[in-house]
This record gives sequence, structure tokens and C-alpha cells, in this order.
Amino acid sequence: MRSSLVRQVLILAALALAPGVGGAVYFRHKISWRSAILPSELATVDQARAWGGNVIWVDARPDDEFASDHVPGAISLNEDRWNELLPEFLAAWSPGKKVVVYCSSLSCNASREVARRLRKEAQLPDVFVLEGGWEAWLKKK
Amino acid sequence: MKTHIIAFALSIIISLSARAELKWEQTSLELHPTPNDKQAIGHFKYQNTGKTPVHFKSVHASCGCTTAQTQKDEVPAGGSGEITATFNIGDRTGTQVKTVTVETDEATNQKTVLTLKTIIPQQLELNPTFVFWKQGDKPDPKTIMVKAGKEFTVKHIKVTSSSPDFQTKVEEKGNGEFQIDVQPQETKNIVASTLTIQPEDSQKVFYATARITNAPTVQ
Repeated sequence: MRSSLVRQVLILAALALAPGVGGAVYFRHKISWRSAILPSELATVDQARAWGGNVIWVDARPDDEFASDHVPGAISLNEDRWNELLPEFLAAWSPGKKVVVYCSSLSCNASREVARRLRKEAQLPDVFVLEGGWEAWLKKK
Repeated sequence: MKTHIIAFALSIIISLSARAELKWEQTSLELHPTPNDKQAIGHFKYQNTGKTPVHFKSVHASCGCTTAQTQKDEVPAGGSGEITATFNIGDRTGTQVKTVTVETDEATNQKTVLTLKTIIPQQLELNPTFVFWKQGDKPDPKTIMVKAGKEFTVKHIKVTSSSPDFQTKVEEKGNGEFQIDVQPQETKNIVASTLTIQPEDSQKVFYATARITNAPTVQ
């Protein structure tokens, strides 16, 4: 009687566990469409402005949006033409400068990707993502 | 009473079967473009399994690098079609996940999120892609490590500098790994060079930058 009960409990537990394990295996390579970012890698408009002339503004939006309007003095650096635009950005960079990357809004991912590549591939320090992006900058204009 | 229950159940069944409903073959696709592909295109197929037409209210992609097109605005009952999502690879690398949000006038499930995952193959990985010396620094060589991607075999690479101000030397380390030593002639002037790195027998070109920069900004 008792062994039958234990068996039934084990069978039920295994059945309950199966979908969870299956899901974990099936979705093991699933990644979020937004890159993870640490709070220390974010900068607000006010913070970036307080850094004054020590900041390089980087516009990660597509070319047409940059051409339409951008933060004064910003440099265009997007992943559509990364290889072409990166040397132009690096010509403006010097040690000690802070880099603030922005894209359209809070929900866009381009600035996170550009910031990640500047940190990881070019190994630049002090690269920040602008919180709220271009929309936040416009509100504080 | 029994008749009422049957009538109620029947009305629910009829109303459910009469509604419009788009059934998607897949709402998630994984694409594997070749290293020379400029775009990755996903086809999200659907069928209207309901008994009334479905209208698309909006279709929009999560980023400017992706476009999505419907073949038609209205899908008749029993009709089928597809939404084509085109991801422009540009100079992107690694795994890219983009979404397309589709809104319809269905009674339920009005919003569907289609996911396009693109695995961009990387023939060479450079670490780092930028080396610099501050003005007045000792012109010692700096190293860029190059590694072939998992699915690629690279035996030799060719490195060229766009400026004679920088010299490069390549050392083959085996297992698809290479060491590039970059050295400036001197560090008095602000000069830069684009280093072009090309695997043997490949059209694909990779870039790194070498530069003499200003002295650090005083903070």
C-alpha cells in the first residue's frame, strides 16, 4: 500500500517536472532581444551634460534619423556601417573622454549594442548608454 | 432547463467556430546566413482557420534594421499567406534577435510577436580592434589577437596598414590563431592607420585601427 503511494507520488512528481526540464532544454539558446545593461553603464541627460566638453555623444540610430536631427556635435556610429564609421569616431576619441551612446528611445537596443562593441571590441573605458535615448534628450532640450 | 444548457453550449461552439483566427506555422525562426550575405530573410506563414476574414491593422519591426511586409491587408476565411521579415545584416556580428509585432482585428489574440533570430557567422574575431599610443609614449609594439571562428578554417592571414607610420608583423600561433604586432614609427604626431586583415582565400575583410592620440583630457 505504502510503496504504491510512493510510486504514484514519484510518477506525479516526474510528470510535473517534465515540462519544466523540457522547456529549459528546448529554450537553452533563447536570448533576450535586448542586451543586458548594468545601472553603472547608464547615464542620464543631466549627468552627461554635467560632463561638459569631456563627452563624445554617439548617435547609434540609422543614417536617415541622424541626418534628420541629432545632439549637437554627435558622431554617427551605427552597426549598418560600423567598419566605415568607427575610424571617424576613434579620430575624435582620446583617453579620459567619456562616451555617451544614444538611440531613439528607452525601448531601442542599438545604443546598447554600440556601447557593448566599443567596450568589448575596441576596449574603450567610460562608455555609457543614455537613459531614455534621443526622446529623453529632446524633453530636456 | 436541459434544452437551455444545450442551446447555450451550441451557441458558444458556433460563435467560437465562426470567429476569424490566424494560425501561424511558426512564430519564431532561426536563420543562418553565409558570411557574404547582406540580408537574412524570414518567412512567417499563416492561415486563417476561422470563418470570417482577418485584417492586418499594423505590422512593425523592433528596429530600423528590419523591415516586414504583408502580402495583403485582408486574409479571407481559409486563406493563407506570409509575412516576410528582412533583416539587414550591415556590419553586425554574433546572434541578433529582432521582433515583428503584428496586430489584427481578430476577436482574440490580436497581437502576435514574431521572432527572427539570426546567427551571423564570424570568420575572424579580433581582440582588440583598436590600439593606441598617447603622444610622447614609447613606441613599443601592441598586440592584436586574431582567432578563426569555430566553423572556419583559416591557415594564413594578410595584414596591410593604410599608413607607413605603422608597421605590422603577423605570427601564426596555430589552431587558427594569429598574433599581429603593431608598432608606430614614432609618437610625436597624431596619426592613424586602418589595418586591413584578410583571411587567405576569402573575400571578407576585417578592420582594426591604430592611432596616436592626444594626451589625456584633464578632468
